[in-house]
Amino acid sequence: MKPSRISAYFVLHAKSYMRSRSALFFQIAFPIILILLFGAIFSGSSYSPTTLIVQNESPSAASWGVISAINDSGLFKVQVISETQNLSDYITVHSVQAALLVPANFTTNLYNGGVGELVLKGHTNPTVASADYQTLNGVLTQIDFRTSNTSQKLVLSSQVALGNTGKTIDYYVPGLIGFTVLSTMFNMVYTVPNYRRERLFRQLSFSGLTKSEWITANMIFSFLMLVLSDVILVTIGIYAFGASLTLNAETIVVSAVIIFGGLFFFTSVGILAGLVSDNEETVSVVGNLVMFPMMFLSGVFFPLSFAPAYLVTISKFLPLTYFINSLISVLDYGNISSVSLQIVYLLIGSAILFAIAVKLFSWKQK
Amino acid sequence: MPETVISVTNLLKSYSDITAVDGISFSINRGEVFSLLGPNGAGKTTTVEILEGVRNRTSGDIRVLGEDPEKSRSLIFKLGILPQDFSFIYNSTPKEALDFYKGTLTASSDLNEILEMVELGDKATTPFQKLSGGQKQKLGLALSLVNDPEILFLDEPTSGLDPRARRNIWNVIKTLKEKGKSILLTTHYLEEAELLADRVAIMNKGKIIDSGTPMEIVERHHEDDNLIIRGDGQVENLLGSGGYQFQREGPYIKVGLKSIRDATEIINYLYEKKAKFDDFTLKRESLEDVFVRMVGEIEEDETE
Repeated sequence: MKPSRISAYFVLHAKSYMRSRSALFFQIAFPIILILLFGAIFSGSSYSPTTLIVQNESPSAASWGVISAINDSGLFKVQVISETQNLSDYITVHSVQAALLVPANFTTNLYNGGVGELVLKGHTNPTVASADYQTLNGVLTQIDFRTSNTSQKLVLSSQVALGNTGKTIDYYVPGLIGFTVLSTMFNMVYTVPNYRRERLFRQLSFSGLTKSEWITANMIFSFLMLVLSDVILVTIGIYAFGASLTLNAETIVVSAVIIFGGLFFFTSVGILAGLVSDNEETVSVVGNLVMFPMMFLSGVFFPLSFAPAYLVTISKFLPLTYFINSLISVLDYGNISSVSLQIVYLLIGSAILFAIAVKLFSWKQK
Repeated sequence: MPETVISVTNLLKSYSDITAVDGISFSINRGEVFSLLGPNGAGKTTTVEILEGVRNRTSGDIRVLGEDPEKSRSLIFKLGILPQDFSFIYNSTPKEALDFYKGTLTASSDLNEILEMVELGDKATTPFQKLSGGQKQKLGLALSLVNDPEILFLDEPTSGLDPRARRNIWNVIKTLKEKGKSILLTTHYLEEAELLADRVAIMNKGKIIDSGTPMEIVERHHEDDNLIIRGDGQVENLLGSGGYQFQREGPYIKVGLKSIRDATEIINYLYEKKAKFDDFTLKRESLEDVFVRMVGEIEEDETE
């Protein structure tokens, strides 16, 4: 590899890229729009309490005490309805997210030393129901501790707290950085078949440029563009929406390493997807099949703690999950040591995949 | 003894069930313009791409400046290549493209001079996608000149261009020839080959069916010369009574000539007989006539 050739292509590519409105939109403007959108929706707010409809069929000091404790947790805003109403009908008619039934035998069972069973009538959406169930379960466990006179302190925020201040925007900044890195995959998914169809690889080879030099120049340019777009994302997150990120020399360097590893990984995936066919439509389908599950199941747009168990299991097979988790640990908690092994695996995996992609990628005409 | 810069011996390129190039051999000398002629699908571009190192051959031996292009990486720095259907990064400008080539080929050429030579000076900062077909082709030619190459591969350089743009590219090729460059030119414009090439090889269905100077090929394959007269029935009657063989083609009467001197005799005869005719011209077969007949004959033979 010759630096002068890499530099010559870098300059050509950069000038051409800066004239491409669509490329600039997706690299810079689109992530900014996303953070402005998410920031506007979730700005400055901690977790907003879910309205919990409660029907108490067993009115007593004990049952009202539990209901009051649930309301005081701050995670639910309790709204009590008459015990004469049909709870299932109420849920359907009012499209409520969650409703808690205190059954008629609740107080009796408690006074007799048994278990006071509460029934959560959930939303039809399993994701929402699961989140509510888990949160409420946590609240009830704490109430149990309190009524049993244990010394355990209440830590009700543990199920929903996001980041070190619990602000949702703290979660979305690393998530959207992950999105920008993932999008580099699509640059290659479209570039490789397009360059093949237009015979641009052949033309570039006449200039003496090699495929390794071409890939290297592209990677350097993509990395610089990623740094630019991610700096803008972080700046907007912090100054427009009050995101609280742990930014110091160590976390910035480690984040850059993670981004660089991710760039290698997803660029390699893009090259391999681009080799599937010379037909851009076919490649686009393949690219989407790879990209979309990762985008929605790796925690880019919502925390995986809200997802049902089977989706969490699926997410463990998606590389972007580890990438975003690493960024959350580093940027939100300043916690490098717990993810250092994960980062090493990410870099090794990226290097292996990159070597495979370079080996399989040929400029020669078929 | 002229120096051979390209030698091709028994070159074969076959795909699963198609033989694109079928055991051809030829050589090109330094400073020579050699043209591969043939209809679409004859195997010209495949041959050129193998010589450029873009495609691998199935068998045979090839040497370009003494090296095997399939194995030599350094060879590309001595070649100038204008491929068929030239294309470039769509929003790069000619100036940027030339700067890039200069950087990668570590050349010392004067880029403005090259741009002026191909008449692209005023389009130096226009994005590639906004250039016309002819201007794009000129950029391709300009890029092939950046490293002042020893050999130029020009694959259908004037295809689809208007007559003016075509003549401009012909002038550039003539200038390069005067500078002693060796050029492999593929074209399906016979007039172009006749004008520019020192030697030609006619390809059809992967084989070379004849080669030599354009004059040699015409001499070998031409039919009788013809005298074309624009005249009426009276002229036809006079020619018939004079014992001349002729046939009518629209307003023209075509008289076959055994020798070019026969033309003078026929015209004198018609003047003596006070024949009324508007115009006459002598028609000799061109390389194109010979080519069309040769390729056509082969196809007819195969259908039989």
